[in-house]
Amino acid sequence: MTSKASSPAMPLMLRLAWRDLRGGLKGFRIFLACIALGVAAITGVGSVSDGLSDGLARESRTILGGDVSFSLIHRQLSDEERAFLQRYGRISTTGNLRAMARRADGRSSLVEAKAIDKTYPSLGQLVMEPALSQDQALAKDGDAFGVIADPALAATLDLKVGDRLFIGEQAFVLRALLRSEPDKLAGGVGFGPRVILSQDALQASGLVQPGSLVRWSNRVLMNGPRPDVPVDDIAVDQFVSAAEKAFPEAGWQIRGRSNVSPQFEKNLDRFTQFLTLVGLTALIVGGVGVASAVHAFIERKKPDLATLKSLGATGAYVFQLALVQVIMVALIGIIMGLAIGLSLPFILAGTLGSVIPFPFTPDIYPEQILAGLLYGLLTALAFSLLPIGRAHDVPVSGLFRDQVDGDQRRPRRRYLIFTALAAALLIGTVAFLATDQKLAAIYGGATLVAFMILRAVASGITALARRAPRPKSTEWRLALGNIHRPGALTSSVVLSLGLGLTLLVALSLIDGNIREQLNRGLPGRTPSFFFMDIQNSQVNEFESFLQDAAPDAKIERVPMMRGRVVRLNGTLASEVKASENAAWVLEGDRGITYSENLPDGSTLLDGEWWPQDYKGPPLVSMEAEVARGLGLKPGDQVTINVAGRNLTARIANLRAVNWRSLGINFVFVFSPNTFAGAPHSFLATAAFPNGSASERELLILKDIANRFPTITSLRVKDALDAISGAMDQLAFAIRGASGIALISSILVLAGALAAGQRGRIYDAVVLKTLGATRLRLLKAFVIEYALLGLATALFGLVAGGLAAWFVLIRVMKLETFSWLWGPALSAVGLALIVTVGLGLIGTWRVLGQKPASHLRSL
Amino acid sequence: MSVPAIALKDVHLSLGRGAARVHILKGISLDIAKGEAVGLIGPSGSGKSTLLMTMAGLERPDSGSVHIDGEDLGPLDEDGLARFRGARIGIVFQSFHLIPTMTALENVAVPLELAGAADPFGRAREELKLVGLGDRLDHYPAQLSGGEQQRVALARAVATDPAILVADEPTGNLDENTGQSIIDLMFRLKRERGATLVLVTHDPGLAALCDRQVRLRSGVIDTSRALEPAQ
Repeated sequence: MTSKASSPAMPLMLRLAWRDLRGGLKGFRIFLACIALGVAAITGVGSVSDGLSDGLARESRTILGGDVSFSLIHRQLSDEERAFLQRYGRISTTGNLRAMARRADGRSSLVEAKAIDKTYPSLGQLVMEPALSQDQALAKDGDAFGVIADPALAATLDLKVGDRLFIGEQAFVLRALLRSEPDKLAGGVGFGPRVILSQDALQASGLVQPGSLVRWSNRVLMNGPRPDVPVDDIAVDQFVSAAEKAFPEAGWQIRGRSNVSPQFEKNLDRFTQFLTLVGLTALIVGGVGVASAVHAFIERKKPDLATLKSLGATGAYVFQLALVQVIMVALIGIIMGLAIGLSLPFILAGTLGSVIPFPFTPDIYPEQILAGLLYGLLTALAFSLLPIGRAHDVPVSGLFRDQVDGDQRRPRRRYLIFTALAAALLIGTVAFLATDQKLAAIYGGATLVAFMILRAVASGITALARRAPRPKSTEWRLALGNIHRPGALTSSVVLSLGLGLTLLVALSLIDGNIREQLNRGLPGRTPSFFFMDIQNSQVNEFESFLQDAAPDAKIERVPMMRGRVVRLNGTLASEVKASENAAWVLEGDRGITYSENLPDGSTLLDGEWWPQDYKGPPLVSMEAEVARGLGLKPGDQVTINVAGRNLTARIANLRAVNWRSLGINFVFVFSPNTFAGAPHSFLATAAFPNGSASERELLILKDIANRFPTITSLRVKDALDAISGAMDQLAFAIRGASGIALISSILVLAGALAAGQRGRIYDAVVLKTLGATRLRLLKAFVIEYALLGLATALFGLVAGGLAAWFVLIRVMKLETFSWLWGPALSAVGLALIVTVGLGLIGTWRVLGQKPASHLRSL
Repeated sequence: MSVPAIALKDVHLSLGRGAARVHILKGISLDIAKGEAVGLIGPSGSGKSTLLMTMAGLERPDSGSVHIDGEDLGPLDEDGLARFRGARIGIVFQSFHLIPTMTALENVAVPLELAGAADPFGRAREELKLVGLGDRLDHYPAQLSGGEQQRVALARAVATDPAILVADEPTGNLDENTGQSIIDLMFRLKRERGATLVLVTHDPGLAALCDRQVRLRSGVIDTSRALEPAQ
């Protein structure tokens, strides 16, 4: 006869644990769901992020359009530079700029124009509809060149293939709609739809003028060992060093294929980390559920554990046995979570693959499996070691009295130490796996403090309920009693819902404040329009036109060119140690200007402004925060490359700038004599004192497009809409992740309420026997749940508000923090709905119980 | 005279804390010879079960000494006591206390496994055959009758061949017929293995089967009838 005995080859501990779990995982459902949800969130976010990074790395040559890109603004490659680059490979050049596309009837739209040469694209494919050759699509026919445009432009201007449009002063025919361009990502995020035209067409458009903002991107596809084999990374690095050495003053931005879109990678990294922390909050909230489940498990198993001890097992042995069981259950939860998390990239690629604007390669990443395993296991351990520790001292003598409740002494010190170790390991893992250790440390500390505060809040509520004067109303008395009596739901509700609500309130307030700051602006100072590429010859005509069209508008105009910071006090910009909030100034080129007077909206903080007719060596005024971040002070030297020329200026003063006005603000403002004779264009803004209507703005836009075809107009509202749209997508992902934390909260709460059900039935039956009506019982339960929900919501509001304030004011350096009642009241409402709702679902059953059947079994 | 299987000397034991502390065993001295069967009798609250637990090393006396099978339990720490129990003492409970998630076979194998015995499942199978449950090996406790559960508990108690067998009201939860068969089985097992048996009972019939009855009253041995001969 065969027996079901588990294999004796398995170690005894595992055998015993396995035998016990064989009967099913009843009592562990909330435990499993909490661990699975948290692990799924973390591995899902990580896998999608890795898929994006990998996709980017795999397609890096195609995205960059070659092995190395040399990008210049205001000027093209010199003959020497071109000859030098050609020695290493084939050059393909594109010219990129913002311009206005307009129909014959004057309707216009800002576009991101890209002028390509015959070699484009060196890698990948330009896909258009209908499928024409590039020559067919872009060639000149009669007076019009061909153009390929993003379908969004066709929709905005109501164009179809074959229709005419104008860009700058040149007529075009829309020959095809753009379906995909291989190097789209390298260009970054644009404000308008893409149009592709030939370089001959660009020259004919009149948009390329001295000082106009055309970015010339020269991509070099290096000569490999064989035509189909790319060169190795060493060769790329050598090429970059050689180019830097040969032309130290070129002022070009060099980007290798391993560094295609550093901004994108950085943002992806940060966003991933942020979402991982939100996912981790879900896991930690779930930890409360883990602790309750394990506590209930140990209570249930006490007679069995005592029996094992009566058969010779030691206290440490039964602890280890329970621990092995909990780890086994945790592993099942982790495997479930991993299965969901790891399949997320594949589901995304399958459903949204065609609309994700990035090269995305879903894959299984072992490091994500490891991260999920570590986070899941450590969370389970940190929250279960203490309740398991109670198994150690389960008294065998209770078996003789048929009552193995045991005393509720604190677990032995070693289990407190184990718990602290597991928590420390969990925080250590977060810090180790984080890209931003500081953020991870703040998170770890905040979570720990939040837990301690929540514990204190729960004790406070219990103490308050105990000390409260006895109300006259029986229902209130019952409710208050339920809040403080042994086995009350207070700490379960506060702990489980408190963290989830805090996160929700914090995220809502951060999101709401950022949006408010973006949209509010400063009336009368925040411009409605930016106008770029205004040539010297057009300035007067344009200004008088604008004054006629919008007499109430405040018009500002400044000279503008682009330049790259090359050296600070003689040190190469790449070697300068910049603080995080100033590093952006050293990346790529920046808008620079000159001015006789201190610009409006700026305040002089340190140093002197130069005299009106200053003729001495070049001086520069810097924005104070950035200067501090770069370690600069008045008297220091800044070298900047403009149009291939290095200019060194002494810092004369530091200014405070109000960036919130969204007006014309520059980090660097030079003394006028610095750029005497240098070609440049002007940048202008128009601000309406009382805002302006959309129709009026669109009309002004149309008139300017007709009258000044080479001037590019950017409507601030459109730009803000674009930013707001991008924020919506980010907010969606954040809400998704924080939603998981909230689901965990609700699961934990539901578990706690279910666990208290037996006691509730007992109470209800006894009270009904003594004459309580169902309505009175219902009232008492509603009061109890509402009080707990309200207290938790208040904590969530205060803690979430503080967290949001800290992030907005201290981390994001916003000037003001607004308390938004919308998200706050929604959080309170949600807390009440969840506690009262979930509580009553269970209580409804309790109220329906007939006393007699229960009294017999009590 | 050979060393007694159980030797208690002036054992005092109190339970509870503070005002709730109760002095339960008040200077118990008792020797039980190897192979002897002793019935502990007395009214409820007289300290029978506590005395039994003290003999099994489950309660530690406040003062006095407990020697079991020649070994002084005093110096043993909690883990030492657990190991000692596993090797030398078999316990039978009134409520059986089988582990519900384990089959009959697994329940009996547990003490053997804990003691690191060779072929625990083979031996457990033999033990179950000896108590007449050879065809119930793979049944879970819930699938067995009360009598069958107590047989499994007996098989488990004797599986490690303990020197001492202690039983707390072993037939308290069983009907009369089933109880009788369990009593027969327990005494047969004791006889076959030469073990010492101490049992707590309210059943005069069961007590009468023992070699000796020890009557407790308010935590002391009722000396007037302390050494009642078996009837």
